[in-house]
Amino acid sequence: MPRPVLLATKFHAPRHRGGVVDRPRLHRRLDLARLPALTLVSAPAGFGKTTLLAEWLDETDRGASARPAWVSLDPRDNDPTLFWSYLVAAVATPVPGVGEEARALLQGSTSSVDAVVTSLLNDLTTTSGEIVLVLDDYHVVESIEVHESVRFLVEHLPSNVHLVLAGRSDPPWPLAGLRARGELLELRGADLRFDAEEAATYFRDAMGLALTGADINVLEARTEGWITALQLAALSMRGRDDIAAFIEGFAGDDRFILDYLVDEVLDRQTPDARDFLLRTCLLSRLSAELCDAVVERDDSKAMLDTLERANLFLVPLDDRRLWYRYHHLFGDVLQARLVDEHPGLQTELHRRASEWHEQHDDRPEAIRHSLAGQDFERVADLVELAVPAMRRSRREATMRTWFEALPADIYTDRPVLAISWIGARMATGQFEGIEDTLDQIEHRVTPGKASTEEMVVVDEVEFARLPAQVAMYRTALALLAGDIATTIDHAEHALELTAANDHHGIGAASALLGLAHWAQGDLEEAQVRYVESIDCFRRSEHHADILGCTRALADIQVARGHLGAASRTLEAGLELARTRGPLRGTADMHAGLADVLYERNDLDAARAHGEASRDLDEHLALPQNAYRWRVALARLLQVEGDRPGALDLLADAELVYDTDFSPSIRPVPAVAARMHLLGGDLDAARRWVAETGIAFDDEPTYRREYEHLTLARVLIARSAAEHDSPALDEAVLLLDRLRTAAETAGRAGSAVEILALRALVHHAAAEPEAATTVLGEALIAAEPEGFVRPFLDEGQPLLDLLQVVARGDTAAVQARRILAAATATSTHLPDRSAATKGTLVDPLSDRELQVVRLLRSELTGPEIARELMVSLNTMRTHTKNIYMKLGVNSRRAAVRRAAELGL
Amino acid sequence: MQYEIRIAGHLGPRWANWFDGLTITATDDDNTVLSGSVVDQAALHGLLQKLRDLGLPLISLTQVPDPTTEGPEPRPEGN
Repeated sequence: MPRPVLLATKFHAPRHRGGVVDRPRLHRRLDLARLPALTLVSAPAGFGKTTLLAEWLDETDRGASARPAWVSLDPRDNDPTLFWSYLVAAVATPVPGVGEEARALLQGSTSSVDAVVTSLLNDLTTTSGEIVLVLDDYHVVESIEVHESVRFLVEHLPSNVHLVLAGRSDPPWPLAGLRARGELLELRGADLRFDAEEAATYFRDAMGLALTGADINVLEARTEGWITALQLAALSMRGRDDIAAFIEGFAGDDRFILDYLVDEVLDRQTPDARDFLLRTCLLSRLSAELCDAVVERDDSKAMLDTLERANLFLVPLDDRRLWYRYHHLFGDVLQARLVDEHPGLQTELHRRASEWHEQHDDRPEAIRHSLAGQDFERVADLVELAVPAMRRSRREATMRTWFEALPADIYTDRPVLAISWIGARMATGQFEGIEDTLDQIEHRVTPGKASTEEMVVVDEVEFARLPAQVAMYRTALALLAGDIATTIDHAEHALELTAANDHHGIGAASALLGLAHWAQGDLEEAQVRYVESIDCFRRSEHHADILGCTRALADIQVARGHLGAASRTLEAGLELARTRGPLRGTADMHAGLADVLYERNDLDAARAHGEASRDLDEHLALPQNAYRWRVALARLLQVEGDRPGALDLLADAELVYDTDFSPSIRPVPAVAARMHLLGGDLDAARRWVAETGIAFDDEPTYRREYEHLTLARVLIARSAAEHDSPALDEAVLLLDRLRTAAETAGRAGSAVEILALRALVHHAAAEPEAATTVLGEALIAAEPEGFVRPFLDEGQPLLDLLQVVARGDTAAVQARRILAAATATSTHLPDRSAATKGTLVDPLSDRELQVVRLLRSELTGPEIARELMVSLNTMRTHTKNIYMKLGVNSRRAAVRRAAELGL
Repeated sequence: MQYEIRIAGHLGPRWANWFDGLTITATDDDNTVLSGSVVDQAALHGLLQKLRDLGLPLISLTQVPDPTTEGPEPRPEGN
């Protein structure tokens, strides 16, 4: 997948050719041995921040005492993807190998900025030697998301990595804490100003001006040590005979210093050079070729050389003198001159600059110039063409600023642009007005409905996809509204409209169709659609989308009773993650395998996969995995005899419950109700019945099947506990309807469970022959795919029945196999006695005790990590060790266990 | 919204275009007042950023009554 093109010049600390004053007093402040995690160089424009840091880094680099990394930021870096792409690349230059995973994550389509930062931090933790990362011009950052991520970085930096932020304002996050802990070094305006001695050195050595002490004092007082002002003053004095007169004039004038001095400097240029400066000042980077195009001349190379030699605030951006920029302050003053002296000219200059950048494949910069020149029609053309590449490289934040900068009426005649804007809004959860815009677009592109004469289309390829895209967005809206029938209609329509070679388009429409059919309980159709979508995503290489579909497909296969197929589906997903990863959804593959293996009573393997799913980083998990691994491990704990631990874990699962649009087929409270029944807590199970309002005569739908099967168990338990209860009759009615529904819809997996329960009902009704017959049916149906747990999860009554079947003629072999599994399981349970004693075999470390104390609080995991000043991953390692030592599986259980032990 | 932004030193009137057409007035105490109408908070922050980027020392920022309306806007009861 393409990633943003990074400008090499931004990694280059700008160095001047001579004219630089040594500043040992400041270099000493930046002593590497005492450098904290964060250094702030905060001072107004023109105080020499960049020069100081560039010179200091050069010195540390030459002394090989630290590895420097540099990024010169500009306003475009407010896009988090772009910002972190630069940052990761900058760090990777001096420290090869670091940030490889982070870079892969930045290219993936679904990973979050947090995941990128966490991954980079993990890599940095393994490095040795001092690393200094400078972010210059940090004040251009306005994006809250970027600020938050940098803040997170600072708070988790290992001690050998130092971040230096240079800018004109302090970053908008609380610094008092860092300051109080001595973890912040600040160089501010008062430190950076030239003192009289530095000013004297500068005039004498750097600029070759012989000034008296009195002269220097006057200049120093008038400029207050403002370095840019002193530089401009020096430029104005060079080659003058009447230096005294200049100083007198300067000191006696009360105009804004820059006004005065820039006038002085410009007055001393040839008209040609002055004109060149004014006409190129709005370029953020200058090359000879670009200047030629913007100024409409052919000798810009010579002019740039002259300006650089004359020290006219031209900063080279590379060693080959291909790219320059103006000193920011000087450039700003020139731009103010331009709009004052030549109103209107800047529009033309921006247009030329935009055209040059477009011809040189830098659409974002072309768009920046056209926006600055307020040429919205041109912006619209450029944005339309830039969208596909921007979307692939995940520059959504940048696209949003473009869309929002355009006047609303420009979208009316531009259907392709309008649909891109819809995509950007839906991606951030803004659904207002989307329906209307879709109607307008559809109206616009329907032949014969509206005049197409005024329609503006620059991207014909995207235009051809328009009808399919409209249908796709309607599908998504219907799904959000929970309207399944409409979702299916729109998705089928989208599929018809998608070109046969648009694999990603077909894959996306098929996946939505699969989801809708799944929600409706049409598993066969859902499976066909998901298989197709996985195949299409493989062709279009959208690997992250594959795992989401894989998880759904495996769930469907399990419900249809195809455990072997589900297992193969999930293993293929894991294989994809291994070869094409890191992929979001890897953790979900493990949780899915844990479920399949559980059904087959392969408990050790199930536990291994459940724990793998728990231990993988969050960015490798889809939203629903947070509850799914908990449920998987809770069921295993229950089998191991730790019912309180299992219920604790289920309580956690409920807190993080999120099905992410897939049907809620196994609600956590129902799982808990089954566990209460196994523990003999009928009251808790009956409370669940009351809370869900579930009844034996409900319509038996797929969505509620798991809950209805839970209700059947409650009814069986009630019939045993109560006299003259109608519960057993209700259970008969319920199970017979569920059986018909499951068999009609081909849910063989559910059918096994229903038959096992039906056998229990016969048994309770004192119908022993019917009980063994039905159980025999269940055993025969279960055998080919290896279902075991549906028979073991019903407790002693079913085991007794199995004994009867095992002595009979039908399904005796199968029954004996299940009984053997039951014996093996009960003798193979892990020894939990250590955890129930009053002391720990392996005591907690001090750090772990600290974590345990914070686990008792209301703080979330990331908050605890922040509190302890450790990375999220380190925090997870601590938690994992604590759980292991306490023999627990959840935060709640850990807190309870720690209290029992008096920790 | 009408605002007055006071900065230290004398800024020439030629900066008016750069500061989006604000009126630039020198004061008796060697300061400068930029005054005029600012569309919204975002625009106001944009102006402050321009001042910062030129290294102009900010002294005060005041919202002033709109000179085109007489007195404060009448408010509906109970608001």
